[in-house]
Amino acid sequence: MRGRRALLFVAIAAAQFAMFEAALRIWGHSEAAPSFQALFMPDPVIGYRLQPNARTRFETAEFDTTIAINGQGVRDDREIGPKPPGERRIVVLGDSLVLSVQVDVRQTFCRLLEDRLNQASLQGARRVHYRVINAGVQGYGPVEELLFYREIARAFEPDLVIETIFVGNDAEDAVASASKLRAPSTAQPADRSISDAVSESLVSRLRRVVRRSMVLQVLRLRVVSVTDRLSNWVTPPEAPLQTYAARPAPRIADGLRISRECVEAIASDAAGIHAKTMVLLIPARFQVDDADYRHLKAAVEGTGGQLVRDGASERFNDALSSLPIPRFDALPALRAALPGPDVFFQQTVHLTPRGHQIVAAALEAFLHKEGI
Amino acid sequence: MVFNSLQFLWFFPVVYALYRACPVVFGVERGLRAQNWLLLAASYYFYAAWDYRFVVLLAASTIVDFTCGLVLDRLTDQRRRRLVMTLSIVFNLSLLGFFKYFNFFSANLAALFAALGWRLDFVTVKVLLPIGISFYTFVTMSYVIDVYRREIRPTRNFVDFAVFVAYFPHLVAGPILRATTLLPQIARPRRASRDQIVQGLWLIAWGFFQKIFVADNLAPIASRVFAHGAQPTGINVLLGAYAFAFQIYGDFAGYSNIARGTSKLMGIELIDNFRFPYLVSTPQAFWRHWHISLSTWLRDYLYIPLGGSRGSPAQTRRNLLITMFLGGLWHGAAWTFVLWGVYQGALLVFYRPYAAAIDRWRGVRRVVAWFVMFHLTCLGWLIFRAASLRDLATLTRNLMTQFAPASIDAGLLVPLLLYASPLVVIHVVEARADDVLVVPRLPIGVRYSIYAATLYLILLFGNFGGAEFIYFQF
Repeated sequence: MRGRRALLFVAIAAAQFAMFEAALRIWGHSEAAPSFQALFMPDPVIGYRLQPNARTRFETAEFDTTIAINGQGVRDDREIGPKPPGERRIVVLGDSLVLSVQVDVRQTFCRLLEDRLNQASLQGARRVHYRVINAGVQGYGPVEELLFYREIARAFEPDLVIETIFVGNDAEDAVASASKLRAPSTAQPADRSISDAVSESLVSRLRRVVRRSMVLQVLRLRVVSVTDRLSNWVTPPEAPLQTYAARPAPRIADGLRISRECVEAIASDAAGIHAKTMVLLIPARFQVDDADYRHLKAAVEGTGGQLVRDGASERFNDALSSLPIPRFDALPALRAALPGPDVFFQQTVHLTPRGHQIVAAALEAFLHKEGI
Repeated sequence: MVFNSLQFLWFFPVVYALYRACPVVFGVERGLRAQNWLLLAASYYFYAAWDYRFVVLLAASTIVDFTCGLVLDRLTDQRRRRLVMTLSIVFNLSLLGFFKYFNFFSANLAALFAALGWRLDFVTVKVLLPIGISFYTFVTMSYVIDVYRREIRPTRNFVDFAVFVAYFPHLVAGPILRATTLLPQIARPRRASRDQIVQGLWLIAWGFFQKIFVADNLAPIASRVFAHGAQPTGINVLLGAYAFAFQIYGDFAGYSNIARGTSKLMGIELIDNFRFPYLVSTPQAFWRHWHISLSTWLRDYLYIPLGGSRGSPAQTRRNLLITMFLGGLWHGAAWTFVLWGVYQGALLVFYRPYAAAIDRWRGVRRVVAWFVMFHLTCLGWLIFRAASLRDLATLTRNLMTQFAPASIDAGLLVPLLLYASPLVVIHVVEARADDVLVVPRLPIGVRYSIYAATLYLILLFGNFGGAEFIYFQF
């Protein structure tokens, strides 16, 4: 009797699992959705990158966009062939703030910058066609951006490389990914025990199953959140937003150093093909949004930390100041746009179409001023 | 410690395992004593986890009222008995008054004098509100009053009494238990039956669902509308009031259900605190179904002593208004709570001549009466939730003069429907059966489907931010 009841419960739970899975696949548009995850593919050097020719629709309460990846693996609705005469190419490296899945490709600051430069070129004496290539990838930090430049973007024959630093998390990202800069392991599969190989294969199979299911992905996030909170409970958590902390953890200095080395390496590689390099610094939303700042300040102070609002921008500016590379900080331009409609989305920390317009206009002015 | 915290995730299983082990290890009689000591230690730890300093207040309230109970039992002279009871009430109300209302009264008094042109520099004291003080002072006061009225005999076992006051499932947010309900259960050996365990587990799961899925997901929706200085149109004010209605119900009923569920697992029954309150047609019925332990407390220890409905209609109306005014003030030291209490009193007064007839209505008339009552309740929540009287005036003005149905915000409507509808479905099922524990009694396939769906909805869509329960502040 008990066995039958248990069986009935398992059957009902399985049926509901299928129902929730279907519902989430149809209506649950999130970055955990398999359709969104299908935008990415594994890469032996970088870890992952955008899947060439992938296409998906991303819809949330705040936006509804179609994302198309071209054959070269960057977000663009046009292919990138050999550079025609008279064309100047700008490659913009960066993370999700550059990729910008929240807005249509024509509303990204990359495309708006291209439009503005071409418009100015039409009015000028020298007719040059500009092509600005959005080489941003969700979740990248300076290390992945360097590797992506070397693996993929160098082939686009850029005249200018813009390395976009998101000051909010790039120092932390750089520390987390520093190991990717080392040469890949030369250990052969034969060096590993059979049980290691079997358990790895089981784990990777399980991971694949979890990755394919929306329900399991959400459950995984729940488990991660509980284990994180448990570990925070055992060891008191450090205050969040360490790059902005009055007294940051020592790893932030490492992250800034690694970021500077990555920028230097990009500039050196770019110089090898006669391309220039510049740095674009993008601030976090709370540096622009007062209400967001107040909320985060209270949260950080609640954990015993102290938040310096522009601390991360200042630290990146200091860290990169020794490099002979032009640097543009988008913070003053975004801040000057207030009060007015939001420049960042409310439910994500990404730029709205208006935010992209402001960055594109300010960046164009900077390029002209610096004569880049 | 809150029920939806990681601490509680290990606290309860450990306490429960020890609790079950006591009679096995020590035998029935000594096991009972061990269980009560364990409950006492666990309850004080539960309370101290929030702020250990206020344990002293809890202990003081327990010692004073235990002593008053014993003294009252010994005394025969009615005047001296009344004096002892008065001392106990003054002690409890002083605790409540100082910790809960000191800042409110001093600030308002200073504002009043300032309006008259006098500047008063009060000693400013940063008084922290000890969690649950409104609940446990009412519990101990009811005990002393019941002993004074000779409705119960006082317990001579201090540990039993201390457990009665501090029993962790009901300590910080009720239900406000009476000695007649809880003390006899604490004094006798207990073992949870299979039915109690099944019902207890369901109540815990359903309570977490009400808190994590309904209340915590609706909280940001309501907050958007009630944000200080917000200017939502009338239709969106209405949606915000609906969202808060389900948020506060999910939050408070969720807490009560988790309290009842954990208690059932230990073989102790707590009273129902909510019985589908949003399906009633009159304010009289609402207060028989909403926060039942508070409304019966106010009835028995305030309304009836004031004269209840025994005097003239005018006296009854006065008694209702005073009771609900104080009931509103019990919820917190703010003018919005006072106004909410007066509003509830006014509704009771207005409905009083017709309430019995309306309760008998059936069909369309009943639906209309329900619709009107639900919206009157939501209007009450508007008063209750508004950040200030000025914000309340703005929201009410927008509701009445700028309804603008076309401006309906899908960002409010869709989540409201998604998060409130499962609650409404179970609410209706329970109301039709007139049984808040109907789910564990439904046919096996139906109840297993509800169990599984509840777990999936909590895990997939629950808000695990660990927000505190609203009623902790009261």
